[in-house]
Amino acid sequence: MSSHYEAPIRKPLIIGDKNYHDVTVDVARPVEGRANKHWWIAFTIALIAFLWGVACVSYTVGTGIGTWGSNKTVGWAWDITNFVWWVGIGHAGTLISAVLLLFRQKWRMAINRSAEAMTIFSVIQAAMFPVFHMGRPWLAYWVMPIPNQFGSLWVNFNSPLLWDVFAISTYLSVSLVFWWTGLLPDFAMLRDRAVTPFTKRVYSIVSFGWSGRAKDWQRFEEVSLVLAGLATPLVLSVHTIVSFDFATSVIPGWHTTILPPYFVAGAIFSGFAMVNTLLIIMRKVSNLEAYITVQHIELMNIVIMITGSIVGTAYITELFIAWYSGVEYEQYAFINRATGPYWWAYLLMMTCNVVSPQVMWFKKIRTSIMVSFIISIVVNIGMWFERFVIIVTSLHRDYLPSSWTMFQPTFVDAGFFIGTIGFFFVLFLLYSRSFPVIAQAEVKSIMKTSSETYKKLRDNGHDNHSHSEHNHH
Amino acid sequence: MKALSKIVVLVAVVASLTSCHDKGAPNYQYFPNMYQSVAYEPYQESAAFGNGKEGQLPANGSIPRGYTPYEYPNTPEGYEAAKANLKSPLTAEEVDLKKGEELFTIYCAICHGDKGDGKGNLAKREKFAGVPNYKDRVITEGSIFHVETYGLNMMGSHANQLSQTERWQVAHYVMKLKSE
Repeated sequence: MSSHYEAPIRKPLIIGDKNYHDVTVDVARPVEGRANKHWWIAFTIALIAFLWGVACVSYTVGTGIGTWGSNKTVGWAWDITNFVWWVGIGHAGTLISAVLLLFRQKWRMAINRSAEAMTIFSVIQAAMFPVFHMGRPWLAYWVMPIPNQFGSLWVNFNSPLLWDVFAISTYLSVSLVFWWTGLLPDFAMLRDRAVTPFTKRVYSIVSFGWSGRAKDWQRFEEVSLVLAGLATPLVLSVHTIVSFDFATSVIPGWHTTILPPYFVAGAIFSGFAMVNTLLIIMRKVSNLEAYITVQHIELMNIVIMITGSIVGTAYITELFIAWYSGVEYEQYAFINRATGPYWWAYLLMMTCNVVSPQVMWFKKIRTSIMVSFIISIVVNIGMWFERFVIIVTSLHRDYLPSSWTMFQPTFVDAGFFIGTIGFFFVLFLLYSRSFPVIAQAEVKSIMKTSSETYKKLRDNGHDNHSHSEHNHH
Repeated sequence: MKALSKIVVLVAVVASLTSCHDKGAPNYQYFPNMYQSVAYEPYQESAAFGNGKEGQLPANGSIPRGYTPYEYPNTPEGYEAAKANLKSPLTAEEVDLKKGEELFTIYCAICHGDKGDGKGNLAKREKFAGVPNYKDRVITEGSIFHVETYGLNMMGSHANQLSQTERWQVAHYVMKLKSE
């Protein structure tokens, strides 16, 4: 530390007079304490929504897909809209934990744990749609290339829907392993602090006997880096594959080569917005304002602004190419989006996705927690409508005017969606009460470079090693 | 040792899961979605019909396309008339003795014998007696067709097994056997 150089321009990532022990205590407090009334209220609401979703899904599986509003022209509607939406939300977690790790972004450390949890939970939500939008979900295992008694009847590897299966299942498993690996030192911390035999036992099991030796840490870092290196191409390919569901089709409005990067940008856009929504609440209710600072929120807002601008560019590119192509079907697809019966959805999508992130250019706005929270929700509404518009407006009017129709969702469509939101929050609320929501081991690693205490010490010329033993208790 | 006990448990689970199949009864099915026919299938039983059978008799006197009713009655007079007057409708090109032999071997030879000498397998094993040799009887192609259609004495009708054309092919083959 004696010769540490940290640019004075960098603002502290850990605010307040925090030492290592304070980090431990702050991270462990929500886990070790009891849930308050507000948590129970939120949990009950989420649980009811989840159970309602279970009821709607049971009704769909028991009665048939006809309980949904999809029809013979619009065969995909809310199911795939929600699927893509949830997958997109999940991408921010991996972006934060993997891509920002590769770019050595220290600010990711306070948010990566929750972002990864969000990934896992939203991919679980997403994965339900491909199964339950099937007419015969009990035969879903046929999508797997398993040797069988039908003369070893195989799957066709040409369908992006099959690639979806591989993409989503790989994504979920890699994310889970990445997340859990990072959790080991933190679970060990909770294990070592546990006072009741039950919690001791639980955290002993989940921490896999982590003892924090130098060799362990060395391998831990290597594994994290390798997984980050693997997760980055994975995260780009997963949403690319999801976009192939549309891009490889022949439907005007779908058949576009811009979809893969545009979907990925949209995924980062909506995912970061969701992280913002969750963390703005979490930092407040779990008293983690010292770690999830306004600077974190500002940086996430900047990512939202950048990806929002990429998405906006993609919208304009699509419009330009539609005009430039001279293909009347393609041109009509976009005229229909803007002026057809779903003009309001297109307008909503344009407003939420193109206009709302642009306000982040103003520092006053992007450092305002209230506005950030509102915009993060607006972005997710906009991104839901983006998928809805792409899917439904392209399908409901395409080549044959005799097949033109409208789409009207039913309460079951809505119930399933509400159910996944409920399930997501059930998982997230349980997570926030039983998992260390901040990667304390990582945060402690930046304590001496990026905490307010040490920055002040350095500013005062005390950048000598002896002062790093400074104890403020 | 631990791995071995795991394998034993796995084998036990698999064995208990697969041993429930009773060989005397149809096996269990996983979601038999389109296993049972919604449409009526031939020979199936169905409460929709008076006698519970899918195969219902056509109305009397109805004639399906491609079918010529046989006009000679099932009486001694009919037999005599067929013997005297009924001629094969098959032209010389249509007569297929190879086909006739195959059909004869399947449907007739078990009693009448491959050579038509009344020494079929059943006759040789003395399951019953009285199968004549074709050479001992006055038969014409018309009478053969008549007997194939209605049966005679111990012989039953073969109109169920053989179509009209096939019966004529057999009749031609029987005449060939008689002449040999």
